[in-house]
Amino acid sequence: MMGIKCFFLAGFLWTGSVFASDPVLTARQVLEKMNHAMAVLNYQGTVAFLKNGKLEPMKYVHAAEKGVQQEQLLSLNSPLREIIREADQVSCLFKETQQTLVDYRPFEHSFLVDMPKNLDDMGGIYQFDIVGEENIALRPSYIVAIQPKDNARYPRKIWIEKQQFLPLKVVVYDNSDVLLEEVVFTDIEVKKSLPFVGVKLLDTVYPAQPIQPIQTQSSDKAAFVVTQLPTGFREVFFARKPMHNAEQPVDHLLLSDGFTSVSIYMENKIASMQPGLQSVGAINAYSRTINNFQLTVMGEVPAETVQFIAEGIQLRE
Amino acid sequence: MSEDLNQKISQFLDNELDPVDALSLLKKMRSQPELQDTLNRYKMISHAMKADAFLLTKADFSTKIQQQIQQEPVCWLPQQRKRFKPSHKQMAVAASFVIVAVIVGRSVNDSDQHFKAASAFQVAQQLPPEKSVNSVDVPQDQLNKRINDYLQAHNSSVYTNGEADFQPFARVATYSQK
Repeated sequence: MMGIKCFFLAGFLWTGSVFASDPVLTARQVLEKMNHAMAVLNYQGTVAFLKNGKLEPMKYVHAAEKGVQQEQLLSLNSPLREIIREADQVSCLFKETQQTLVDYRPFEHSFLVDMPKNLDDMGGIYQFDIVGEENIALRPSYIVAIQPKDNARYPRKIWIEKQQFLPLKVVVYDNSDVLLEEVVFTDIEVKKSLPFVGVKLLDTVYPAQPIQPIQTQSSDKAAFVVTQLPTGFREVFFARKPMHNAEQPVDHLLLSDGFTSVSIYMENKIASMQPGLQSVGAINAYSRTINNFQLTVMGEVPAETVQFIAEGIQLRE
Repeated sequence: MSEDLNQKISQFLDNELDPVDALSLLKKMRSQPELQDTLNRYKMISHAMKADAFLLTKADFSTKIQQQIQQEPVCWLPQQRKRFKPSHKQMAVAASFVIVAVIVGRSVNDSDQHFKAASAFQVAQQLPPEKSVNSVDVPQDQLNKRINDYLQAHNSSVYTNGEADFQPFARVATYSQK
C-alpha cells in the first residue's frame, strides 16, 4: 500500500516538474518571444525561399551586438549574389556582373518574416492560434496560425522553434488554403557571436550604385486620394521619386496592416500600361488609367483586394 | 521432308541459312503457300519471344491487308481543308502573339549580357485584362520593366525570389548611362 502511494506521489511530482519546465504559452506570447529572439540572437543556417514556383536556397546569417543587427544572404545558385541588410540599408552584390546595388528599406526588418513590433492592435484584424507542433530542421517547433478575420488578406503559419523561439518556417496561403510562398530553414545553429560583414569592403572592390534614399513626404502631396481600404491598413510612407528614369516621377504610397503591405503607384500616362490584373506568386497587381494618369495597386493580398483599393482611388481635386 | 523444310525456315529466320539454300527455300515458298504460312508462324513466335507480347492473327491476315490496299480507290481530288472554329482561330492568334512576345523578350535579354531584364512578370500568370479604350501597343519588355520597378520599390522580396533572370534592370541601366 505504501508502495502505491509513493508511486502516485512520484508521478505527481514528475508531472508538476514537466509543466513547470514547459509553461503553456499563448500564440501571441510565442510571437512576441520570436520578435525578441530574431533581434538579439546570433544565428546562421541554410534557408530555402519558395516563391513564384521557384526554389532559391541561400545561406543566411544574422549577427546582433549591442542593439545593432545585420542580415546576410548568400545565394547558392545563379545569379550569385550576396545581400546584406544593415539598419535601413540593403546592399546587393551581383557576383557575376560585379555590380553592387545599395537600396534603402527603412520600413522592413527581416528577409525571413516582417512582424509588427506591437501585436496589441492586431487582434481586430488577425486571430493568432497555436495549431500544433512539428519538427523543422530537427527542432521541435510551435505552429502558430495567423488567420485574417476577413478575406482581404492572406493567412500565414509560422513554425517557431520551442527553445530559442526563432522562426524556422513561414508559409503564406491563399484563401483556399493553397500554398503561395514558403521560407524554411533546412539547418540552423545559434552562436554566441557572429561577425558583421563590412559593406564598405564591397564598395572598394566593386563601386556601389546607390539608389536615392527615400525622402518621406506627406501623402497630401499625392496626386490621388484613397477612398476605400480594407480594415487595418494604414499609411507607412509616401514619396514622389523617379523610378524608371530621372525625368518621370512616380507617386508611391505604401500601406500596411502590420503583416501585409500594399503599394499604390501613380504616374503620368506616357504609354498604356496593360490594364487589369497580373500576379506573381503571392503578389497581385491591378492597373487602370484615370484620365492622363496610370494607376497600379500592388501587394501580397488577394486580387480582389488590389482591385477594391484601385477602384476607390480618385484624382485629388 | 517437312521437318527438313521447317528446320530450314527456322535457320532462314535466324539468318543461319546459306544463300543457295535460302534462294531455293524462297522459290519453294512461292509455289507452296503452306510454307509461307509456316514462315509467318515462326516469325510471330520469334517476335513474341523477343518482345514479350503477342497478337494472334489469322494466317492470311497480311495477305488480306495487302489485297484491301490494292483495291482502295485513289482519290486525286483536292481534299477539303478542315475549317477551324472562330474560337480556335482566336486562340491560335493569341498563342502566336504570346510566343512572339516571349521570343522577342528573350532575344532582347540575350543581346545584353550585362543587363538582363527583370523577368519576374514574364513568367507571371496574366489574368484576363480589361478592355482599354485608349490602348496603345507597348513592347512587352517595357511593361515588364515598369512592373519590376514597382516590385522592387514595394519590398525586398525581389532579392530572395527564385527568378534566375532577375536583376534590377532599370536601376542598372540608368547608372550605366552616367
